[in-house]
Amino acid sequence: MRLLILFVFMIVLFPRLIFAESEYIFDLDEIEKKPYSFGGYVEARPVFLGFDKDAVLHKLKLYDQDEGDIGQEYNAALQIDGSYEKGIAKLYTKINADIQQSYLGWSDKTSIFEGYLSVKPSSSFSINVGKKTLKWGKGYAWTPAAFVDRTKNPDDPELALEGFISLSADYIKSFSGPLKTVSFTPAVIPVYDDINDDFGETDHVNFAGKLYLLLYDTDIDFMVLAGGSKTTRFGFDFSRNITTNFEIHGEFAFINNFEKKFINSAGDTFIKEYDANSYLFGIRYLTKLDTTFIVEYYHNGTGFNDGEIEDYFSFINTAYAAYASSGNDSGLRKALNLTEGNYGRINPMKDYLYARVSQKEPFNILYFTPSLTGIFNVNDKSFSLSPEFLYTGITNLELRLKTSFLIGESDSEYGEKQNDYRAEFRVRYYF
Amino acid sequence: MVKILFVFMSLILAVPAYAADGNELLEQVDRNLNPESYESYKKLINIEPDGSRKEFVLFTVKKGKDKVAAMFISPASEKGRSTLRLDENMWLYIPNVGKPIRITSLQSVVGGVFNNADILRLDYTSEYNVEQVEENGDEYLLHLKAKTNTVAYDKLKMWVNRDNMLPSKIESLTEDLMLIKTLYFKEIKDFGGGIVRPSVIETDSPLYKDYKSVMIFAKIKEKKFNDEVFTLTFMPNMDSLR
Repeated sequence: MRLLILFVFMIVLFPRLIFAESEYIFDLDEIEKKPYSFGGYVEARPVFLGFDKDAVLHKLKLYDQDEGDIGQEYNAALQIDGSYEKGIAKLYTKINADIQQSYLGWSDKTSIFEGYLSVKPSSSFSINVGKKTLKWGKGYAWTPAAFVDRTKNPDDPELALEGFISLSADYIKSFSGPLKTVSFTPAVIPVYDDINDDFGETDHVNFAGKLYLLLYDTDIDFMVLAGGSKTTRFGFDFSRNITTNFEIHGEFAFINNFEKKFINSAGDTFIKEYDANSYLFGIRYLTKLDTTFIVEYYHNGTGFNDGEIEDYFSFINTAYAAYASSGNDSGLRKALNLTEGNYGRINPMKDYLYARVSQKEPFNILYFTPSLTGIFNVNDKSFSLSPEFLYTGITNLELRLKTSFLIGESDSEYGEKQNDYRAEFRVRYYF
Repeated sequence: MVKILFVFMSLILAVPAYAADGNELLEQVDRNLNPESYESYKKLINIEPDGSRKEFVLFTVKKGKDKVAAMFISPASEKGRSTLRLDENMWLYIPNVGKPIRITSLQSVVGGVFNNADILRLDYTSEYNVEQVEENGDEYLLHLKAKTNTVAYDKLKMWVNRDNMLPSKIESLTEDLMLIKTLYFKEIKDFGGGIVRPSVIETDSPLYKDYKSVMIFAKIKEKKFNDEVFTLTFMPNMDSLR
């Protein structure tokens, strides 16, 4: 009886002593594979914007709004992904829903980011049909050779992107020797009124292909896109570790017969056709103190030069003066039309430098990563600077506080953005 | 004179003979820890000084001496991420980001004391030579030196039980013998198929005072894979191997 009392006493007071072995139990239910999977995240993201009322893009986008000096946005998002697998076939979908309440009112958007059937007869061959992101290119902030993907936002390069509807395949072959891997990815991308109509010109079937080599420990890709929705383009990228903590990468894109639409200060529009070359060189370097540096230089051959962007700003200023004096906004509407997908592209000018410094777990604060990101417009010397704090210490919860300061002279890209600064707090819970 | 010469020659020849034995011992340790090609599940637990924990579960496959890949099964925030190691080349695939990005052996995809080289471990013999063997009672102490300067730790001190030829402790050191971390091998378990090995590895580090990370193994099983499994193109499809 005494022993029993002693045993119960020990369990209550020192449970770890009694069940020391159970401290590290690995429940096999956790690793049981089911034919279906379901996951995603829910996100809340309030944003505060400090408007620059003298900036050209503020005049263009908010000329008929009275939103005050500070704008507020309240964003919520739900992303769900699910799959069902049977034999060699797998169905996969990723759906994204965003809702926003801001100084512009309510808006919402629900998109199927991906939804495809994948058939994998062997580990070296698979076929995919449906909406899928193909994710080409090696750049972190920009991917000029990712011809079949949507443009990344260098301000948040790790955001999920919507795919295009395609039929694609992967064939992989491994070797021994300096050439370790060859893989080939052909893709067919139809573009019609209701299918991929934002890819490019409609009523075309486009063909794309990527050849990947792992040669002398270097990742090398060759890409091509042809078919009519966009002009024919060829690409190349590489990535290689020089040492275990130092990686270099690069991309090159040759775009045949690129058509650049631009406007002069009087509002006359022009189209210039030329062969454009875009390229990117980058490094990723990790120090012994766990500081990571990512630096990329990007030349955008399809971008605008200083004179072209100044003409665009000048036209908006003239159109805004006309609106202010007469209420006639036809000039501003013309500029808005030309901004969409053109001057309004992310980083529309020629030369950029991206630099990001992040420090993993400083002062032994586990799962905490502060970072500082700068995006510099080399042509007009304007830039954005974004300090960021990320904490992932609570399982499945991600907290990110990010601020951005936009700095530049008048007639410069960042100097003429609609806001001077921006602060956002993102809470994301994964399930 | 002949005696002196004999003793001198014996001393010179004794070192390489010992080193060769050491490498054979290390090969035995490798094979006792796992088959050359296998699949397994690992749970990584990071334990903070206040006792709070974060857990990750990975599915791992390995082929030959230089190919290993792993995919996160949980938590939900990491699910679907996969890592690939071909010799000293390492990549991380994050489903949202898309294309695999190169990572380094000294970084950690999970945070905490384990780094990528610990999580995507190759055979010790593929990265290290045994420089010296000490016999201490029922243990060998192997002094390991990295074959190249691309290996995560320049030197290892490995304590090996002479009865079962399994490691009990490993110290990871810099070139100038500064201790980076210590691995403790615990709870020997029969996984079936002749695989009997420690099922738990604990680690601590003077660089992360009062923090501890633990790796628990389950379902270690000998299995053959095609080389194509260990490619960037295959990384998004790792779940199909389970």
